[in-house]
Amino acid sequence: MSGIICAVRGGPDSQSTIDKAISLALEVNLPLHFFYVVNLDFLSHTQSSKTHTISHQLHQMGEFILLTAQERAAARGVQAETAIRQGSVREEIINFAHELEADYLVLGLPVGEAEKNVFLSERIREFGESIEQESGATVVLVGSPPEE
Amino acid sequence: MKRSWIIFVLFAVAAVISAVLMISSHPAAAQSSSENPVIVGRVIDLQNQPIAEAAISLPTENDESGPSATSQKDGSFVLEVSEPASISNPLTIERPHFEDTEIELSLDQLNQLRQGHSVVLPDIEMDRVIGLAFWIAAVIFAIVLVLIASGDTHNTLATLVGASLLLGISYIGHPINENLFIFDFAGSISYIDWNVIFLIMGMMMFIAIVEHTGIFQWMAFVAYKTSRGKMLLLLPILMLITGVASAFLDNVTTMLLMTPITVQIALSLGINPLALLIPEVMASNVIGVSTLVGTPTNILIGSYADISFNGFLVNLTPGVLIAFLGLIVYSILIYREELSQAREGSEALIKKLEEGGQITQPDHLKKAGWIGVGMLVMFIFGEQIHLLPSVTAIIGATALLLWIRPNIEEMIEAVDWTTLVFFMSLFIVVGAVQEVGVISVIAAWIGRLVGENLFLAMLAITFLSAFLSMVIANIPFTAAMLPVIGFLSSQIPAAENDVLFFCLSIGSAFGGNGTLIGASANMVTAGIAEAAGYKISYKYFLKKGFPAVLITVGLAFIWLLIRFR
Repeated sequence: MSGIICAVRGGPDSQSTIDKAISLALEVNLPLHFFYVVNLDFLSHTQSSKTHTISHQLHQMGEFILLTAQERAAARGVQAETAIRQGSVREEIINFAHELEADYLVLGLPVGEAEKNVFLSERIREFGESIEQESGATVVLVGSPPEE
Repeated sequence: MKRSWIIFVLFAVAAVISAVLMISSHPAAAQSSSENPVIVGRVIDLQNQPIAEAAISLPTENDESGPSATSQKDGSFVLEVSEPASISNPLTIERPHFEDTEIELSLDQLNQLRQGHSVVLPDIEMDRVIGLAFWIAAVIFAIVLVLIASGDTHNTLATLVGASLLLGISYIGHPINENLFIFDFAGSISYIDWNVIFLIMGMMMFIAIVEHTGIFQWMAFVAYKTSRGKMLLLLPILMLITGVASAFLDNVTTMLLMTPITVQIALSLGINPLALLIPEVMASNVIGVSTLVGTPTNILIGSYADISFNGFLVNLTPGVLIAFLGLIVYSILIYREELSQAREGSEALIKKLEEGGQITQPDHLKKAGWIGVGMLVMFIFGEQIHLLPSVTAIIGATALLLWIRPNIEEMIEAVDWTTLVFFMSLFIVVGAVQEVGVISVIAAWIGRLVGENLFLAMLAITFLSAFLSMVIANIPFTAAMLPVIGFLSSQIPAAENDVLFFCLSIGSAFGGNGTLIGASANMVTAGIAEAAGYKISYKYFLKKGFPAVLITVGLAFIWLLIRFR
């Protein structure tokens, strides 16, 4: 198996990432997979007992977000697949890249304020490099890095 | 044979009843021995608040350890004098964190006692000692608040650290320096309000069943279908659904269930989800206050001030609804631009939305509905038979479990034990500041500030609570304020009608709308919105939330003025 993985986070910032992944799919003629990770870290301070319920709800929300990306691709003539996982964003992206033996991994850089997450510009570059080293997939970063 | 068995059983039952009656008649026997004269009195602090667990003793002429008694919760004591002939002065009252007090009985009073007559003393005032324990308890309380506000430590861990420090210092520090004693284990446990704990636990079990039925998702989808893309209709309906759910369930659960489906509705309409989510979470924080069980702060207030379910419905709900109307108008105004961009979603998106908006467990929902109605009836009419809300909640939850027979292991897991432990340890931490007199000092300070002016007191409590709840967690804040409000209610003329408690309820809950960290529901909503790619920053929330606080608190305050004028 091979293809392009586009990690979708949803929101206006991810539109350019989705568009880039669609363009890449058209360019290299490889199957496109939109990928969403359900992460429940925000529940760590409250209501951990609701994990099961909210996990189901976030899966549905993730599927919906992926569907919007799929529709965007279909509008440009690309039939994209979708996949959804739960856990650490970083680990799940790596696992999925391994699983799919992906050729390309399209990741978006957030616009705006610097924040403490995996998508920080420096971290995402390191993250991209480690993916490239481990799987051979070419990492494509979309968007301008945040000012730190 | 059968008949003899019946007689035997009847006899056995009669014997058991007799035994019970005999045991229960034991106090009467004690009473008969109390023909001795007694000294009756009440121990109070300088704010006229009763002091419990004060040790009252009277020496005898030949032996120093004479009769003794302990003051009750209302500060009263009855000191039985078994050997009136040998008693002498002074009457001594001792209590940790208070100056030892001595009362000289007059010659007349001593003679009365010696002649076998009882004596009623005027209220005995005790002075507070502001010592090491006072500052330690105050600092630990502040540390707990900071830990909770920082977000780096789980709320439960923060309060557990506080409770452990207090008990540890009391037990380990006391032998080294007696001023380090705050309270013992029994004393700390006495501050836990079990009515609150069981009410929250019962509601958690009920909610655990309801949340899996898909009712919220279904209602949100129906709202979407009904409004047919008319955002001026959809937004108020979604706010109302969220608000009504919050009036009976906790706000965090409501937002956990409403946020994902709302994000999907917004995406299918092509609008920014925050235009729906922010009004929803604000509605949750506002309407949640309308019932006794809607927010933990109301549960705390209701239990402390003995305000019934009906008490909240009659005195607070109309004001909350007025504030809610104001919130709807405000929300439409601030999001009019985003709402105007709504367009019809694609067929695939609507189909997907419909898939998610299904009732998944209709049978459970039906049963939960019946039990829920029963609980509501018991909440409303239960006060006539002094039925505690916690008893109603436990009975309702148990009845639902019996009827549905879910996996009990899963149900037990669904109860948020961390929250219950949070409340228990919070009660201990707040109990400590109450025990050592920090609360009394604050109460006296506010009392001096507002004097006997009820309007000023209402204004100060409502808006102070609102502003403080924006930056500190409103549950510990409310728990700490309860004795303060209790004191002010007893001091200010015309405040005995609990109006100040309603001011606290409004301020502490509505204030949560002011900042992102003001309420747990805000944080949960922000977490899910961010997972969908829509970040709610502190600045953004403050910009939208702060004016909402002023509007809703102002409107509800006007209602309270009208209601309690």
